[in-house]
Parts: sequence; structure tokens; C-alpha cells
Amino acid sequence: MNRRYIDSRRIFFITGGILLGIVILAFLVSLFWTPYDPNTTNAATRLLPPSAEHLMGTDNFGRDVFSRILSASKYTIFISFSGVAIALVIGTLTGLPAGYFGGISDRVIMLLMNSVMCFPGILLALVAVAVAGPSMFNVVWALGIVFGPTFARVYRSGTLEIKERDYILHARVMGVNPVRIMAAHIFPNLMSQILPATVIGLANMTLFESAMSYLGLGVQPPEASFGKMLSDSQAYMTRAPWLIIFPALMLVFYILGLYFISEGIRVNNSRGGIVR
Amino acid sequence: MRPSRLLEIKNLCLGFPGRKGTYTEVLKHLDISVRPGELLGIIGNSGSGKSMTALAVTGLLPREAIITEGEILFDGEDLLKMKPRSRRALLGNDIGIVFQEPRTALDPLMRVGRNLEEILTVHGVKDKEERRSKIISMLSRVNFDDPEDIYDRFPHQLSGGQRQRILIAGAALLSPKLLICDEVTSALDTVTTVEVLDLLRSLCIEMKITILFISHDLSAVENFCDRVMVMNDGHIIDCDNTYDILHTPRNEFTAQLLENAKLNPHSLNLVTADCDYSASPVMTGRSLSVGYGKKTIISSMDVDIFPREILGLIGCSGCGKTTLAKAICGLLPYQGEINIKGGRPGTVFQDPVSCLNPSHTVLWHMKEALRASGRSKDKASDMELIDKVLVEVGLESRPLNRYPNELSGGQRQRVAIGMCLIAEPELIVADEPFSSLDATSAAEILKLLAKINRERGVAILLISHNLHIIRALCKRVIIMNRGSESETGMTSEILKSPSSIAGKALLEAERKLHGM
Repeated sequence: MNRRYIDSRRIFFITGGILLGIVILAFLVSLFWTPYDPNTTNAATRLLPPSAEHLMGTDNFGRDVFSRILSASKYTIFISFSGVAIALVIGTLTGLPAGYFGGISDRVIMLLMNSVMCFPGILLALVAVAVAGPSMFNVVWALGIVFGPTFARVYRSGTLEIKERDYILHARVMGVNPVRIMAAHIFPNLMSQILPATVIGLANMTLFESAMSYLGLGVQPPEASFGKMLSDSQAYMTRAPWLIIFPALMLVFYILGLYFISEGIRVNNSRGGIVR
Repeated sequence: MRPSRLLEIKNLCLGFPGRKGTYTEVLKHLDISVRPGELLGIIGNSGSGKSMTALAVTGLLPREAIITEGEILFDGEDLLKMKPRSRRALLGNDIGIVFQEPRTALDPLMRVGRNLEEILTVHGVKDKEERRSKIISMLSRVNFDDPEDIYDRFPHQLSGGQRQRILIAGAALLSPKLLICDEVTSALDTVTTVEVLDLLRSLCIEMKITILFISHDLSAVENFCDRVMVMNDGHIIDCDNTYDILHTPRNEFTAQLLENAKLNPHSLNLVTADCDYSASPVMTGRSLSVGYGKKTIISSMDVDIFPREILGLIGCSGCGKTTLAKAICGLLPYQGEINIKGGRPGTVFQDPVSCLNPSHTVLWHMKEALRASGRSKDKASDMELIDKVLVEVGLESRPLNRYPNELSGGQRQRVAIGMCLIAEPELIVADEPFSSLDATSAAEILKLLAKINRERGVAILLISHNLHIIRALCKRVIIMNRGSESETGMTSEILKSPSSIAGKALLEAERKLHGM
């Protein structure tokens, strides 16, 4: 009589894994091999529909879309992961102490973080990149700073809750110093909250990066990114729909995959939390 | 015709799928029958499946729980075959439940009145005035002197006992046929326990509510329930009227449970260290004042703890016992003077769930304690020391690589005590170390504390609301009331004829509860 119990975790992880796997596979392949040079233009092969020769067709410069997709996945993954890494570092270094020490340091830190959050994220990132000049590294920095406060909040609220637990009081009575309490006693317990936030952060960052590339402030031509490919193909939407379908699909795979996995992690955590 | 059984659980099997295809059975062919109008108690150690039974009846089981067999008949109808919608309608109207933790059961952002009104709104009482008058009369029914005032208060302005009464009022509002009380008194002190039990009894009689009373506190069950079932390992092993079960137990398990519950100093062989009161105290506190923010909790208290003594600290809840303990441990800022010999005191807290860090293994905890104490030398001697301490606290199985969630409450409390011992403190502050444990584990921890005191000569400040335990362990006792000391002296004298009002109240409550 197993009727009430379906393991939704498994469905989330498998679906997410497959979707994300497609993008990661593209990324891995692009490191070693692409069928054509993704950036070489060829007037003779403009706007060809998908065929055996060009699996996903060619774009208005005659570049092979499949090759460009492969190489775009590289930038998408690089930017989202390094952006999240920066945001995580910012979040850890600000949110943990803010939550743990409380009082005036909490107010100052969170005032700073909240003032960053006041602005629409995309606007802030656009301004930062416009000032510093459009390049991939500037995009990474800008996104890291824009997303930092979100993580700081997650860390802070988690820390606020955990620091009242008896084992932290125990550690304080034992005389463990505050840095070690934060790093060794509190931090591991935040994982269940940070992990899904990180995965969602990856997805959101990819959306931001696509939007910025779409606006011309992200990955610079001739390099490809999914957002850039979408914006470039706008004019050919009706004549050559494959130009828009394939990058859009990849974007959907990547983001949906991440969402599914974060959902799986969330469900898994809430299961683990049940104490009989 | 009404069936002769209000609730009947037949052959119920329930379990949880674990990781990697394992399956843990929690309830094994459980049979329970509740007669209309009775006060039925279910006792048993923690993990015996008591709470799962309550959740199964109310349909609040965790989602992954699987019921493999059996039926739950309420008024002749099988709850498990009911549609979710009709089952929800039954909840509240016919079946009410009150949980252990009164702190989290009320919405902190709503006033008491709104909290209760929600119940009536959901169950279709449309008229606002009618809701209000119903609630006010129910609040006075549960013995609030000024129900109008309580109606407009926020939950955080009430004590634990008051909140528990509010919850009972909420459950009784719809006058259910069955009220399930899951450990309702475990978080309360003796005085409020007696109040709550009196209230439940009168509800049972006057409103004809049948009560299923789940508890590990045998003394609460003894003077409260008509009939008692003893639960062990997912099924009922004994069932009879309360007097027979508690006075002539028919099987070994029940007998052991009773023996432990009494915490009899003779049978537990509690020998504590001899204390020399002329020696200089291991801890002195002079004119201590402690508070949170602007609110003063403790005002000008003096405390002395002598070497090798176990000092009891008692008082009703909210009197400042824990605040004092925290100040002594250096967890709260205080005014006045605290001197402790031999560095930091060790601490044992009440809650065995949060006393250990869930992200780390037992070994990590021990190493961390050793590191923090500055006694860590080389790896081999560290391990030897850790091993020795674990054996000393009764963890012969040395669960070094286990995580806290794989340990029982008693085992976790042992690890916490081990962490104290490894730093070799001269004083251990133990704040209600037994109250969340079932009788069997509590008795074992009690023995352990006595042994540590005897063999290591460590002084212990023991906070408890169980006067049995205080009598058994402590030669000297302090009674606190409203943030100051109301009397202090030898336990044998003070707990025989207390001179303070607070002391008398404590004793009176104990007498009522234990029928002494």
C-alpha cells in the first residue's frame, strides 16, 4: 500500500539533472571541440536552416549556431558560477557577523546591504558595467555585488536563529572564540539554507547575464552568450526561427534544471528536519 | 445508538521509509480503544510511538509516513477511509489536539482573541459578536480572572501555563468529543501542571469531553487518568485502570518505568560527595543583578556554591532560574560580582535536541571541547582522553562517528556532559537536564551526575522543578521567586517546612500532583 508516498525528491533531482546535464555537457564539449569555429563568419552560408552539416543552422553572418551554442554555454556557466561565488563571499563576510554580533554592527552592515537592494538589481548592474566598461569580468563583479546582499540576508537570518541554540551557548561557555564559532559551529548549519539559495542565485544570475548581453553590456561580440544570441537574432525571428529557438531552449534547460535541483534540495532538507 | 467506543485503533501499522530503501516501523499492530467520557492516559518512553499515535488520529502525520495496515474508527467511522475534506471538518469539531510546546503554538503577531477567533471562523461561526462572547466565556471557563484583558493580549505577554490554558480553551471552543493532549504538561513547572490538570479534568466532567492524555510524566497520569495504557516499541503492552497499573505492574517494563519515574534515591543508589561547608566556595556571586535590555530579571542576589556540593535551585517558571544560570556561565551581562574557581563552568542544558551541533559528529564535539579548554596535546593522548571520558559518561559503545540525530535524547545529554568533563571544570551548571527526557533516561542521567559529583568532586548547580530529584541529590537548596532568593538552607529542613510563600506554593503543588 504505497499509495500515499511518492518520492518527489527523486523526480526533482532526475529532471533537474537531465536538463542541467545537457548544458554542462555542451560546456564540457566546447572546451575541447566545436564543429566549426564559433566566431568565423562565412557569407556563403548565411541563414541556412538546420541540416546534417549545420545541426542547428547558421546565423546571419554564416556562423554555425551549434558551435556558438556550445561556446555560449561556456560563458554562461563561467559567469553564473563566478558571480555566485563572489556573492557568496560577500554574503558570508557580512551576513554572518551581522547576525552573530547583532547591535550596531548588524545595523551598519544591513543598512549598507539594504541600500544596495533598494535599487533594481539589473539597473545597478547595468550602471556598474556602463561605468567600468563592458567586459565579461566586469559583468561578473557587478553581478556578484548586486547579488551579495541577498545572500547576506540569508546568512544573517539563519545565524540569528542558530546563535540562540544551546550548542552555540555551549561553545561560548567553553570559550571558543567568535570567529571559530561562526566558521565551525554556525556555518555548516547554514548549508541547508544556503544551498538552495545558491542554486536559485545561479539561475537568476544567468537571467541577468542574458538580459545584460541582450542589451549589449554583457559578453562582447564576437563571443557568444545565450542572451547575446537572442538579441542578435531578433531581426530574423520570422525568417530564421532556429536562431532564437536553440539559445532560448538552452537557457530554459539551464534555468529550469537549476530550479528543479534547488526544489529537490529544499524538499530533501525539509524531510531531514522532521524529528519523530 | 452510540458505539461503546469513541475511538478505536485496530491493528495499526505505521512506518517511515528511510534512505536507501530501508523502512522503520514506528507503530506495530497498535490496538487502542477509548471509551466515551473517560480520561485515558498513554505512557511510555520517548520514541515508543505515543506522539505518532496522536498524529495518526488527527491526520497530521508527516507526509512520508506510510500506514500499511489497520484502521482508526472514530464514532464507528474509519478515519483512514474518509475523504480529506470530511476529515478536516471532523478536526476541531469532534477531535481537538493540544501540543507540548505552548511557545510556538500561537501566532505571535495576533492577539489571543484573534488567535482563538480563527478557529471559530474556520468552523463557520459567522457573527463577530457571537465569536467574541463565545471566546470570552471560554476564557473564563479556563480560569482566567479577567478574560477581557487576556483577549487583547499578545501571546508573548503570557506565561507558559497561561498559553497552555489558551490552547486548551481553543481546543475546547468547539466542544469536541475527543481531546488529545500530547505531553501538555512536560514544558510546565509543577505549580502550573497542577492548574492545567485540574482544568482538563473539569472540562472532561462538565463538557463531557473524552481526553486522551499522552505523557511520559507518570505522576501527572497517576492523579489524573481513569485508565492507563503502557506503550513500548510501537504497541500497547499493558492496559488497566490507573491504580492497578501504577501499583501492581504486571510486567517488567512497566515496573522499570515506575521505578525510574519515582527517582527513588535508594533504588538508584545515588551517593553524592560529602561537602565541607567551611571550605572556601567554588563560586561566589555577590549582589547580582541581571536583565535583558532595560528589563531587570534578577535583582541583588547572593549565591555561594561550595566545593563538591550539589546545590539545588528551584522556583516556579519565570522566576529567573535560567537567567541566573546564564549569568553565571557568562552568557548574559550582569552587575555585581561573580568569582568562579578553576575557570569556566561546564554547562548542561535542558533541551537534548539542540544541545549538540547537528552538523558535526560526536568526535568533533569532544575534540572541540578539548581544544577550547586548552588541554589538547598530541593526537594519541587526546583520543585516549576522549575515550576515557566517553566511557565515564556511559557511552561505552563510543559512537565517535555518529551525528547527533542518530543518538537518543539521553545519549546526547551524555555527550554534552562529556564535553563538560573533558575541560575538567570545578563547577557544572545543569539547567533542567532531565525535564525533556523520559523517566528511564532521566534516571540514568541522574545517576551519572551523582557519580560525577562523587568521583570527580565537581560542584553542581542543579536547576529543576522536580522536587523529588532535588531531595534525592541536593543537600542544600535555594528557592527563587520573582528574581530574588526567597529562602535558602538545607533541603531536609526547607522542603519539610518552608517559611516563604513561594516555597509553600511549590510544596503544595507537589503534594497535589504526587498525592503525598
